[in-house]
Amino acid sequence: MVVRKKGFFRSVGFALLVIVIVLFAVFPFVQMLSTSLKYQLDWGNPSLIPRKINLESYKELLSIGQGLRDVPESVQRVLDNPKLTAEQRKTILKKYQQTGDIFPFLKYFRNSLVLSAVSAFLALIVAVLGAYSFSRVRYRGRSLIQRGILFVYMFGGILILIPLYQLAVRAGLASTQTGTFITMIVLYMVQTLPVSLYMLGNYFRTIPFSIEEAAMIDGCSRFETIWRIIVPLSLPALATVFIYAFMIAWNEYLFASVFLKSYKNLYTLPIGLKALFVSKNAIWDRIMAASMLTAIPVVVLFMLIQKNLVGGLTAGGVKE
Amino acid sequence: MTERSLALERTESRFGWRLILPAIIIIGGLIIYPIGYNIFLSFFDVTLQGDRTYVGLTNYRSVLLDPAFWRSALTTLIYVVGTTIGTTLVGLGVALVMNRKFPLRGLVRGLILLPYIAPVISVVFAWQFIFDPVNGIFMHWTVEVLQIFKQRFNLIGNPQTAILVAILFNIWKNFPFTYLMILSKLQAINESYYEAADLDGASAWQKFRYVTLPELYFVLGAIVILRMIWNFNKFEEIFLLTDNVKVLSVYTYFKAFTGAMEQGTGASLALIQFLLLLGFILFYVKRVLKW
Repeated sequence: MVVRKKGFFRSVGFALLVIVIVLFAVFPFVQMLSTSLKYQLDWGNPSLIPRKINLESYKELLSIGQGLRDVPESVQRVLDNPKLTAEQRKTILKKYQQTGDIFPFLKYFRNSLVLSAVSAFLALIVAVLGAYSFSRVRYRGRSLIQRGILFVYMFGGILILIPLYQLAVRAGLASTQTGTFITMIVLYMVQTLPVSLYMLGNYFRTIPFSIEEAAMIDGCSRFETIWRIIVPLSLPALATVFIYAFMIAWNEYLFASVFLKSYKNLYTLPIGLKALFVSKNAIWDRIMAASMLTAIPVVVLFMLIQKNLVGGLTAGGVKE
Repeated sequence: MTERSLALERTESRFGWRLILPAIIIIGGLIIYPIGYNIFLSFFDVTLQGDRTYVGLTNYRSVLLDPAFWRSALTTLIYVVGTTIGTTLVGLGVALVMNRKFPLRGLVRGLILLPYIAPVISVVFAWQFIFDPVNGIFMHWTVEVLQIFKQRFNLIGNPQTAILVAILFNIWKNFPFTYLMILSKLQAINESYYEAADLDGASAWQKFRYVTLPELYFVLGAIVILRMIWNFNKFEEIFLLTDNVKVLSVYTYFKAFTGAMEQGTGASLALIQFLLLLGFILFYVKRVLKW
């Protein structure tokens, strides 16, 4: 770009343009944060700054200080009695906790975390081997496999959803909780595998082959060079691919909504939030706080890998 | 010598296959095989519990004779064309702006990636709130402040207007992707082309039209094709925002997993959707890109 002397109005116009772009991108997030901090009577207020800060919904979702809220004073006095054992105290408290109404955010959060982390990790292991194979080893059929992986980009989730569900039902996996959980891990691994293969393949090609040759001359087997040379050299790329696969699984709704429908204990955040919104407990401040808490881990992870990922995204496009 | 190199080649090839095998088994068993199984299922009447009876082409006949299917196909077409053009143009505009140097550019570049990385589920509610008829800021601005509309109404609740919001949402969510791809190409354009254009006294528009745009031709073509495929298959960004926009994925989902839960019909719908996408892409590649 050739920079020339610009008039005052042109630079003001340009600044305005930048501001409009940023507002367009960020406004829904600001709205989310603002509403999550507002009391109900403040919702219709177009100003983004809450009249009074409401932290209740965050406290409730993270179950901070929820124990004693609805316990009548007379019962609290009983509870303060030092003669009570911890167990007795717990049973009394349990009666007063409104279990039906509470949104088990932390449980859903944990489910999402475990599912996404395990499936992303498994996908990463398979992808390291596969990507090494088609970026470094020469054999017939290699380019066919590479193109085949790209072709998988064309399939929408809905095309494999029905047959996979039917297969899981036939195999008896959909009828137990453990079976369903394992099925979900495998399904998420499959969904993230093509992207991981593709991204890692692109990265491995940038590592000079001479380093591996040197290791092989020193007596490393081909397989050892993967673990001793390629993996340590591509740690940033591995982290990037892991986090990207993690994000795909973390965001997934379609498969979770079908497979986990009758297993409330396994709900991930996306279906949990959707269920909360549909239920009568859907209160804007709560749903916005839950949205914030769902977005934050992903945004933080993204910040960690931003430099690598932005390169990776543009290097070949990444499946959504 | 040749014998030894042949043997080497064979070990090499065996090694390569052994490494790729797990990936092939997983992708083959859980993506390719299910697609075949989907074709098989589409000729059956299938219940959610897995019982099935052979019905021949009945599923296809009932799908193709259902006006709701054709409405849904039209909705998909509008959605795909609108979102693809929208994301490409917005991405192009933003890339041109971000290609210039200005203070805080790093921060701005980071901020505008947020829509693309945030989970769909965590941003749809904010969008619903913005367009909410009672509390939403959109109605506040258009009705009370600018007085474009006479009274507040439910923009997302109405099927005719909900698709506009769905398209806008898709553009908002995905423009960072197109912007990044275009920006990386912009930065690779040879500086001397612009210098030569300057010597010839070209205007800013002429430089864009005759230098920048031809250089971007291939990346724009690739973006359009990728976005068409992805937007054609979109489910979550539509379904979670509103159930009023029945594109084909949403229509299939409703058919197969709600109400009568016609899994067989769903299978035939999913296959028809895939064939439509293939046709759409072939048309685009042959007629528009002329490859």
